[in-house]
Parts: sequence; C-alpha cells; structure tokens
Amino acid sequence: MAIADVITRPAAELSRLLHDGQLSPVELVQGYLERIERFDGVLHSYITICADEALAAARVAEAELAAGGSLGPLHGLPIALKDQLHAKGVRTTAGSKILDVVADEDSTVVARLKEAGAIILGKLNMSEFALGGSVQHAFGTPRNPWDNERQPGGSSSGSGIAVSASLCAAAIGEDTGGSIRSPSAWCGITGIRPTWGRVSRYGLLPSAWSMDTAGPMAKTVEDCSMILKVIAGHDANDQYTSKRPSPEFSPIEDLRGVRVGVIRESVTADVLDTEVKGPLDEALRDLEKAGASIEEVSVPLHPVAGLISNAIADAESAFLHREWLRTRPEDYDFANRRRLLATSLIPAGLYQKAQRFRVLMRRQLMATLEDVDILFSPTQAVPPGKIREDTGLTTKEAVVSQFFGSRSHRSPFNLSGLPAMSVPCGFTSGGLPVGMQLAGRPFDEAMLFQVGHAYQQRTDWHERRPPLEG
Amino acid sequence: MGANMPDLSQDQIRAQLESLGFAVFDEDLPEITHRVNALHEALVNLDDPEIDSIEPLPIFWLAEEK
Repeated sequence: MAIADVITRPAAELSRLLHDGQLSPVELVQGYLERIERFDGVLHSYITICADEALAAARVAEAELAAGGSLGPLHGLPIALKDQLHAKGVRTTAGSKILDVVADEDSTVVARLKEAGAIILGKLNMSEFALGGSVQHAFGTPRNPWDNERQPGGSSSGSGIAVSASLCAAAIGEDTGGSIRSPSAWCGITGIRPTWGRVSRYGLLPSAWSMDTAGPMAKTVEDCSMILKVIAGHDANDQYTSKRPSPEFSPIEDLRGVRVGVIRESVTADVLDTEVKGPLDEALRDLEKAGASIEEVSVPLHPVAGLISNAIADAESAFLHREWLRTRPEDYDFANRRRLLATSLIPAGLYQKAQRFRVLMRRQLMATLEDVDILFSPTQAVPPGKIREDTGLTTKEAVVSQFFGSRSHRSPFNLSGLPAMSVPCGFTSGGLPVGMQLAGRPFDEAMLFQVGHAYQQRTDWHERRPPLEG
Repeated sequence: MGANMPDLSQDQIRAQLESLGFAVFDEDLPEITHRVNALHEALVNLDDPEIDSIEPLPIFWLAEEK
C-alpha cells in the first residue's frame, strides 16, 4: 500500500491498517518525516522533531505487531505533543525563549501513550507559555494550513496545524481557556477538552492550575475517543484526577432521544459572523435529521465568560511568571508581557468576585444540562483572522470587545470544568474551516463522542484536507 | 469598590507595577493601562443577588465524586 495514499487518513483508519499488516509503522514515520520536511518550513508546526527516536520506536512496534503482540489501537501510531508536556530526554520550551529544559521523566500523558505503543514523533509549536494570544513566536510564526496568511488559533497551534496538514497521525494539545478547541476549529480538525480531572496534569507545564487539561486533537471523533481512553484515568501524581473509568466509545447513528440545547447568547447576530452562522445552522439541521431534538437554552452569563476566565486564569498565570517577568521581561512576547503585567494588578476583591461568578456560571450550565444532553455553540464566532503584528488593543473598549468577547464562546466550559469538543462543520465562502462546539455534563465525554461521531457519519467536513504548497 | 471606579492613569499603573518589582517598558504602558482599566470596570459592573452567599470552590467535581 503506497504511503502517499493513506497518510492523510484518520488515526483510527491508520491503526486498522497497521494491525492488518497493510501498513508499516516505519513507513508511516518516514512518511510523516518527509511531509514535515516538505511543508513545515512554511507552517512552523514543530519545535522539536524526534526523528531517530521515532524511527527506532517504529522498528520495535513493527516487530511487535508482526509477532501479534498488539498493545492496543495506538500501537505504531506516530503522535506529536504540544511542547508543554514533558517527554523524557526531549527538551521542553513551552514555545518560549525563556524555558529550555530536557525532561528526565515522562509526563503521565506521555508515559501512557508510550505504554500503549504510540510513537512520539516530536514536540509542537504553541503560543508562548500556552497563553493564547501571542504575536511573537520564538520558533517561527505558526500558519493556518488552509491559508498561510491566517492564524491557526492557539495556544495549541502546532497541534492543530500538524493534524490538519497530516504531519502526524494525531496530537496532544492542552486547553486552559480554549487552547484545544480554538485551533481545532480554525484548522478544520476535531479536538476535545476533557472534563477537568479526567487527565493527569503531571509533567504538564501549568498555565492556570484549576483549568489546565491535556486532550486529544485528531481528524475524527473516533480518533479522539481512542486517544482519550488511553491518557485518561487516575494518577497518584495528580491528586485531582478522578478515579472514574475512562470513557468508552459506543458509536450510535440514530440520535433519537438526544436533546441538543443551542446556547441562545452564543448565536445572536451581534456576536456571530454570518460566515460562521451558515455552517452552524446547517449542522443543526443535520443533527435534527439524525434524530436529535433541538431547542434553545439560555446561559445569561455566557457573554461575560471571557472576562471571568481572563480575570482568574491570567491572574494565576501572572503569579506563575512573576520572577521571569521581573528578571527577563525582554524575552517575553510583548503581547503576553502586557497581558501578564496587567493581570498582576487585579485587586483581590475583584479576583474574589470573578471566582464567585465562576460558580454561578457552573450553576447556569448545570441547570441547562438537566433539560438537554448536549450544549451547542460556535467554537469560534469568527473565521481565522490574518496573522497579526500587533494586538490592536489601543483602547479600553477594544480590550472588552476583542479580548474578553472573543473568548466567551469557549470560556464557559473551562470555567466550569465541563467537557467540550470542537467538530468541523463546514467552511466559509473563502474556504476557511468552521467548527461547532459540543459540551456536556461532567465526565460524560461518551455522549459528546456519540453525537459527534453520528454527525461525522452523515457529513464529510472532517474528510477535507488543506491545499498544501511545498 | 463602587460602579464609578475611576480609570487609573499610566503613571499610577507604572507606580503600582514598580512597587511589585516589575520594570515597565514605555511602549507597553498604554496597552497595560487599557487592559487594567477594562478589567476593573467590567468586573466592578458584574453583579448578582447571590454573590455574597457563594463559596468559590474552583474544583467542582470533588463534591460529586463517590
């Protein structure tokens, strides 16, 4: 089987080919390395490529699979990591000029991937320190594979690009305030932020401890479920990991009985670009055709979720960065430096208020989830914008509308610790991907997978590939 | 803090940051000031009748875990 014919396929399909002996892990790794060499000079999705280590691991996997010793569906699959996760013997930079350490042990996520036979292909580019709105990138400006002049979304930018451009079989991202879902939507892939506490944070560089979670980014819902099952679960090294069993993937095609709630405040004309609205409306019609019932629900705090999230998450980050901000301010991306210094000054009373509104947000979402099974909203309310050279935050009003407002679609779920997944649902008239966001009850990723997979059985948005030049 | 909390000036922002040991680049000061004032104003204006009775536990599922 010619590698060029299969390398852009979803991870689950590649896994079946590997296990049937129709595809070799060594050929697959070589295929990705060739594509990285060909395309990544423009896209800048990788920071570190583990070519020798990956080829060595692929040879081992090939022998094990040939001998019938499969370790599971990830065995032999090349997976890349956001450079926020430690992998033994590989440097971690968090996309910054400041951090450059070689880990002496694996993060729990990486250890579990390796135990399941996955091959670590490399470490991926990201917004500096997972802060999202970077303008300057220490390892090259990450570019959207669908239009190289546009942003890929962040902070797991390289993860979104590498999956979309088929520079790995799947990737691990990290989501504090939308960092898995944003690049998933803008790069046209599937990505899930699991319930907080589902995946160990051990060996994951922190951004905001009470929101950080790693999760899979891949071409399909099935791919994501396959990876989440491996990386989820209690870890003695992270006291806040749940002991609940990993979510199972039980595909269904008929969504009769599933109640989908469209968050009213997320789809009003003043917040939603018309180029995004069309695909979202079509996606709702497709879900309805699959049997789901659609209704509108209200989450009154939705419009201020970005504000609340910014006040809490950035204050946590600012505290973590206080010493480097004092001693190496010139080495930060200027946008992040301004952001962190600003939230260094948040008064305790206002921080306390934001924490209380976080609880209210959770209550509002949980109340709606008593009436519906899934919450539906846009992942991004606008298509990917042009790559920026400045923040554009030249007034107080611009901060409110551009910075807080743009985050309000994803923030309700990281504030509330709920699982949320971005699924490709169409394209703008200019050919840019659009993603819908499905969110669910705590630890009910299985429901998200069922609805998302049923949708992907009826649509082909997840099968589209970007027109790469290299 | 009332709803009419006045904007801080660039000089006040610089003084607060320097008091915490942060140096401030001149080119950063306008945006930092806009950010601080926007954050303060927006948070001050948030209100809810239940706000005083809420216990702000950030990790929700612990209360639900069996």
